[in-house]
Amino acid sequence: MNRIFILTPLIVLLIICIFSLVYLLSGKDPNKPPSALLNKDVPIFESSSLYNEKDIIKTKDIKNKKTLINFFASWCSPCKIEHPLFFEIGKKYPELYLLGFNHKDPTSDAKKYLKDDGNPYDFVGVDSDGLIALEFGVFGLPETYLINEDGKIIYKFMGPITMDILKNEIEPLL
Amino acid sequence: MSSLVGFLSLVFAIGINFYLFLSRYIFKFQKQKFNLFIRFSSLLTLLSFFSLMYAYVVSDFSNYNVFQNSHSNKPLIYKISGTWGNHEGSMLLWLCILSIFSFFFSFTKNIEDNFQKLTLIIQAFLHILFGLFIVFTSNPFLVNSILVNEGLGLNPILQDPGLAVHPPILYAGYVGYSIVFSIAIAGLFQNTDDEWLYVAKKWSLISWTFLTGGIALGSYWAYYELGWGGWWFWDPVENISLMPWIAGLALVHSLMMVRGEQAIKKWIVFLSILCFSLSVFGTFLVRSGILTSVHSFAADASRGIFILLIFFIVTGFGFLVFLLKEPKKSNALNLLFINKVSALVINNILMIIATLTILLGTIYPIIIEVLYNKRISVGGPYFNSTVIPIMIPGFLLMSIAPILSWQTNKINNSKKYVLAFIILSVLVILQSYFLDFNTWGFVGLLLGFWIILASIIAIFSSYKIKINIKFFKIINPHVAHIGVGIAIIGITCSSVFQNELDFNLNEGDKFNVNGKTVLFEKIETTDEINFQSLRGKFLFDIEKNQSKEIQAGKNYYPVSKMITSEAGILHQWNKDIYFILGDQKNNEWFVKVLINPFVSFIWLGVIIMMYSGLIAVFRR
Amino acid sequence: MKLSHFYKFLHIIILSFVFFTIKIFAVENIDERVKKLTLELRCMTCQNQSIYDSDAEFSNDIKKIVKQKLQEGQSELDIKIFLVERYGEYILFRPLMNYNNIFLWSFPFILLIIGLFFVLIKTKRNKA
Repeated sequence: MNRIFILTPLIVLLIICIFSLVYLLSGKDPNKPPSALLNKDVPIFESSSLYNEKDIIKTKDIKNKKTLINFFASWCSPCKIEHPLFFEIGKKYPELYLLGFNHKDPTSDAKKYLKDDGNPYDFVGVDSDGLIALEFGVFGLPETYLINEDGKIIYKFMGPITMDILKNEIEPLL
Repeated sequence: MSSLVGFLSLVFAIGINFYLFLSRYIFKFQKQKFNLFIRFSSLLTLLSFFSLMYAYVVSDFSNYNVFQNSHSNKPLIYKISGTWGNHEGSMLLWLCILSIFSFFFSFTKNIEDNFQKLTLIIQAFLHILFGLFIVFTSNPFLVNSILVNEGLGLNPILQDPGLAVHPPILYAGYVGYSIVFSIAIAGLFQNTDDEWLYVAKKWSLISWTFLTGGIALGSYWAYYELGWGGWWFWDPVENISLMPWIAGLALVHSLMMVRGEQAIKKWIVFLSILCFSLSVFGTFLVRSGILTSVHSFAADASRGIFILLIFFIVTGFGFLVFLLKEPKKSNALNLLFINKVSALVINNILMIIATLTILLGTIYPIIIEVLYNKRISVGGPYFNSTVIPIMIPGFLLMSIAPILSWQTNKINNSKKYVLAFIILSVLVILQSYFLDFNTWGFVGLLLGFWIILASIIAIFSSYKIKINIKFFKIINPHVAHIGVGIAIIGITCSSVFQNELDFNLNEGDKFNVNGKTVLFEKIETTDEINFQSLRGKFLFDIEKNQSKEIQAGKNYYPVSKMITSEAGILHQWNKDIYFILGDQKNNEWFVKVLINPFVSFIWLGVIIMMYSGLIAVFRR
Repeated sequence: MKLSHFYKFLHIIILSFVFFTIKIFAVENIDERVKKLTLELRCMTCQNQSIYDSDAEFSNDIKKIVKQKLQEGQSELDIKIFLVERYGEYILFRPLMNYNNIFLWSFPFILLIIGLFFVLIKTKRNKA
């Protein structure tokens, strides 16, 4: 009995060390929490096009196709860094539906941004009050989601996408 | 050049410690010679540290660490404190303090030679572990491969006098427990008499006092620098410092109380191992970047694994020895329904539960993320609703514990206490009835005042009042508890009765704070040596002639492109008036004013506790 | 000392205490409820700061939503669940009492009970 009592610290030590080691080796980033929406259905949304208010996109419009959703804004400087990569994705995977959501941006600024830097998206939705971003659990721009044919979110990335991320994490899912 | 000297002396110091460590098994030493070697290695470690400091002071950017973390236009004090403002340098400071403790320990008299030697050998072992960690994963003496004239700058949040001295004091606390650890292990091996308990008491008091000071400085810094209006956020790094603090407190109390009881001796050894283990574990959590925190250092997985290994070796070794070599038989525990020993046992149990709860809360997110790949937060609300209720019976007991007797369950002058308690309760109830009632406010105030009152009654009714050193030594436990009482009142008032006022103001506006008129005089921007400052100037109480000026604002550090907030605080003995300058919107500035009652009591209480800690070092 | 005296007075204190706690359930206004709730939510873009304390854009958005939902008459738990569905449990500083966290919440009380038993067993009830 007494021995068991004294053994507890060693057992606790072992448990703590194993968990810490697994955590360290898994390469998780403490600053990027895993998304709560992973493997869940795409939230319901409805948004009009940046260029034509009558052109509306709804959740059911992106059923049956792989969709890459990207939240961006003209005032977000990291967005500018990842911007050119979407052209490459678009070229490489013409099947993939590229949906951009313009987050809390005056329409004129957004239009100017997409004119200067080019528009890689198949559809640019307006999210002027940030409500769509709220549904997706976005809290910092840019954020990128990959949705499969069944309408499930299969991947999420926070921050600007890089070539490495594209090659190693996104492409295997396409 | 200085980098080379520093690196060589570091390696040489580790070499000597390795030699000493082996000496236990291979070479036999005279005590004198052994101590000389220990001191020599300490001086070498110190030399290594000072050569790094020298590199910082002269802005020697050929040193990669200096280049990464310093800038030539920083004020001198921040060049010096920059030495430990980064991961590599602070680990060297850690090692340096470790060897300073060994250095002083080697002068201890009145203890058995073999025991002293064994303690120092364990210290040497720790020196080797941490030394190798520095050399292999966090070498501060790397040469910068490119030729540069300017460094990248120190994290602006660290450019603050409070934070400049905070790490050395805090580390003195953490690392101080290494010597307590070594003493306890050596005590287990030698196990001749109880003399080691007395030695351990001294060192654990010293460590605890330093740790208290370090934590207080850290939270004072958080109070005025983060600009959030609070001083404790249950941030993981704060929790990490609190764990060895509470465990150390339990240790100090056990050491004061031990009268040769085997069970308590065992418990003391356990606590000694636990304190240092928690210190090392804290270092692991902070340095591996495993937790998000305001205080985190640059993360690196290999460092994390290395410290985890050190933690595993040190703690595993400690508890294994504890398992195999139990202290020899002695008197049994004399637990009565309520006497000094049982009060001590209950308090120790509560403190350990609090420590373990904080530990679990701190690592629980790691466990959950490993198991379920989702992240949870365990924050202030959890700790507030678990740790604080656990501590409350302890606080109640604390008020009477020093006057309880050893053998019987009688309390002298019990009527006085009962009477005092009733009067106090009525007063506190009246207070909370007329002000806004708040459960925590009620409990906190009652506890705080009760502890102070009971201690004062105890002092006056149990001892003859004399003004000499001996008297102060005798009443020291009561004084310490009065300090705790004062701190509890400060903590309760400043958190429960905090008052918040929000304003949107133009320059020249007048507004009302606490019945006093405040003028928002102007906004001023100035260029300082290494930052630009934006300050809102406020004149407090303009109706009086001596109105006080308060400046609140922000600093912008161009080198690291960071903005820090600078709260403006008007200190009064019974409240702090805390100004935060927000952003400008539609030409109006957002200004938040917090009235924090009795914050100064917290720092006063802490100072009293530290004073008692020091006095107790000299009390046999 | 007769400890029973001491306990009688403790008893009185606790009773009056219960009486006063009734005052707590007085109506709180909406801003106080927003404050209470947002103090327990993490600002996802900050470092360990609560949404209430933070002035980040994210925090201001959430404050607005929380206020709106409270005005609609939703309970605190509803709002928490709404946020957890989107941002994950990470946003809650007070972990939910669910299956995963049962150990976290029960641990201190289990220890307390063990400690209590330990003291009771070891205590000798001799009336010296």
